[in-house]
Amino acid sequence: MLQIENTLLTLVMILYFAAMVLYFIFVAAKKDVFSTFALIAQSAGLALHTATLICRGIGAGRFPLTNQYEFATSFAWALCLVSLIFILKYKFRVLGVFAAPLILLIIGYAAMQSREVREVMPALRSSWLVFHVSTAIIAYGGFGVAFVLSVIYLLREKMKEGGFFDEHIPAKEKLDLISYRSVSLGILFLTLTILTGAIWAEQAWGSYWSWDPKETWSLVTWIIYAVYLHLRLRRGVNAKAAAVFAVIGFICVIFTYIGVNTFLPGLHSYK
Amino acid sequence: MKKIWKFLTSMKFAIILLVLLALACALSSLISQGQSFAWYAEAYSERTAAVIMALHLDDAFHSWWFVLLSAVLCLNLLFCNILHFPKNVERTKRLRKPESYLQTPATVSRSDVENPKEIFRKLHFGRVFEENGMLFSVRNGLGIWGPWFCHLGILLLILGFALGQYTKSESTVYGLPGQTKPLGETGLNLTIDAFDVILREDDTVEQYKAAITVSDPASGDSRSAEISVNNPAKLFGRTFYQNSTGWAADVTVQKDGKELQKEALCAGEFLAVADKPELIIYLRAFYPDYVQPAGEAPRSASGELNNPAYLYMVYYKGELLGMNTLLAGEELTIDEYTVLFSNPRSYTLIQVKEDRFTGLALIGGLITMIGIFMALYLQQEKLWAMRQDDGKWTVYGSSRKGGVLFKEKFEEACGKNNE
Repeated sequence: MLQIENTLLTLVMILYFAAMVLYFIFVAAKKDVFSTFALIAQSAGLALHTATLICRGIGAGRFPLTNQYEFATSFAWALCLVSLIFILKYKFRVLGVFAAPLILLIIGYAAMQSREVREVMPALRSSWLVFHVSTAIIAYGGFGVAFVLSVIYLLREKMKEGGFFDEHIPAKEKLDLISYRSVSLGILFLTLTILTGAIWAEQAWGSYWSWDPKETWSLVTWIIYAVYLHLRLRRGVNAKAAAVFAVIGFICVIFTYIGVNTFLPGLHSYK
Repeated sequence: MKKIWKFLTSMKFAIILLVLLALACALSSLISQGQSFAWYAEAYSERTAAVIMALHLDDAFHSWWFVLLSAVLCLNLLFCNILHFPKNVERTKRLRKPESYLQTPATVSRSDVENPKEIFRKLHFGRVFEENGMLFSVRNGLGIWGPWFCHLGILLLILGFALGQYTKSESTVYGLPGQTKPLGETGLNLTIDAFDVILREDDTVEQYKAAITVSDPASGDSRSAEISVNNPAKLFGRTFYQNSTGWAADVTVQKDGKELQKEALCAGEFLAVADKPELIIYLRAFYPDYVQPAGEAPRSASGELNNPAYLYMVYYKGELLGMNTLLAGEELTIDEYTVLFSNPRSYTLIQVKEDRFTGLALIGGLITMIGIFMALYLQQEKLWAMRQDDGKWTVYGSSRKGGVLFKEKFEEACGKNNE
């Protein structure tokens, strides 16, 4: 099963790479047909990525959500899924140009992690694990897309009117709204992540909140996106400030995921 | 004064507090919590350590400034909810009144519509009211309550957490099967009936399981339960968790060849020799698979009992007489006394907690979740139609947060309607 998984993962990386290149050609050549090929490659990559995760789950005999490799590959999967949904729903193919490198970066990080299948320790033997980690993956996927949209928003200001980008990138107001929807998805699921994590921690550690670095940084991330949502409600504050907060929020997401595990040992440091 | 009050209850102030709270949490997480001045001086510098201690950054999440910041945020949320409650009630009541629609600035409109109900249907406005020749409907009318419920949930969550912090009682009890230990000052006793470490085929731990009985000597009542990691039990209003485990062994003290005493000691415990209490035998550590590579500290190569060894220390009248490692079967002789360690086995560490406000925090969390869902996914949209002089209709729409996306949906529905 591990052999199949490895082969599939290689194919997934090739397809994501092809999608990224095709998205770049779409922008460079200014021909829509390349964005269609890129979408096909991304969709095929997502399908095979799903198969990879299923293989991993069958091989490990559990949901593949317990270590850095499994979380990273699931994170890339969610980012690919959410970005694909947003591309199709809002007919916004340029989103793929910015999302594809991020997906490739995260799956590249996953490929660098140990793929050894290990039995989980007693603390991780809980049905809450699936809810807690899968909601985190969807939240991170939503925030990843919001980050990409906010970067596009910030770049949009510097783009010339009437050109290729002007035609293919929605107006700033719409970009802000799509980003808001992506953050909405992220914060809803991050709240679920924190809530399910707290219920699980109460069962496993006897304390639903211990100010563990992972918990603290999840709260910091939640607060940053709460500020984002409040900024959008205020009159007189432009969406640019909100976009900056969406970028800061995603930096917090990445730090919560990688930085905390690397630099700040705590209850979540499962080795 | 009015200006100050307005600022303190404003969203601007809430944003400032949130940013400060995020910064405080982030900074505090980067500093190792609960360490001593000496530890910080060693890790950073004496000056930095002094700053950390002065600002209570060594226990930041319980410091006065962190509590104050959280309290001010709670007050801001509370005042925000108090101020918005009557406004939201009024807005909710007005949703059934046609004049409220006429007072709403329309963000979209389409004139000369022949069948306005078709637009209502296409935009999923279910119940359409008709009054004074006007059609009107609202979608997600309760959405405006989302932030209110979210704030309420956060307040309950923080209240439950804070009350729990100040009133909860926590303790740990460790022991071997068959041992009975008092539960602090509760008057209850905890008996460990059994303890098993369940291993997989590859010798990794699958689960730690303990069978316990809690008894109340005063009433004679006793209750039993089985606990394991992730499966605590609630007995006598307290929750019992299988928290940790360690090694224990029997210690036999002989005097002139005759057994003087035999006790079970957990690693880290000591015993005083029965007829010479100033002589202390301390079981410092236990290594189930003892190895000591040259130049390295002793350690256990695995968790298996392949080569058990006991690290002991002996004190007499508070003075350290000596320390060493004994392998299985080896004896320690101190004058007329002989000490023998045997029967190594796992002990269990059980955490006991009583927090009456966990439920309140949980309810707060659930209300927060519902509030967020309502605020983000039940966004209020209004649609109304007025009859024109020529018998056709003009349809108006308004969306609180839908903006250009609502406009696109509206235009799509109108476009098809006119075709």
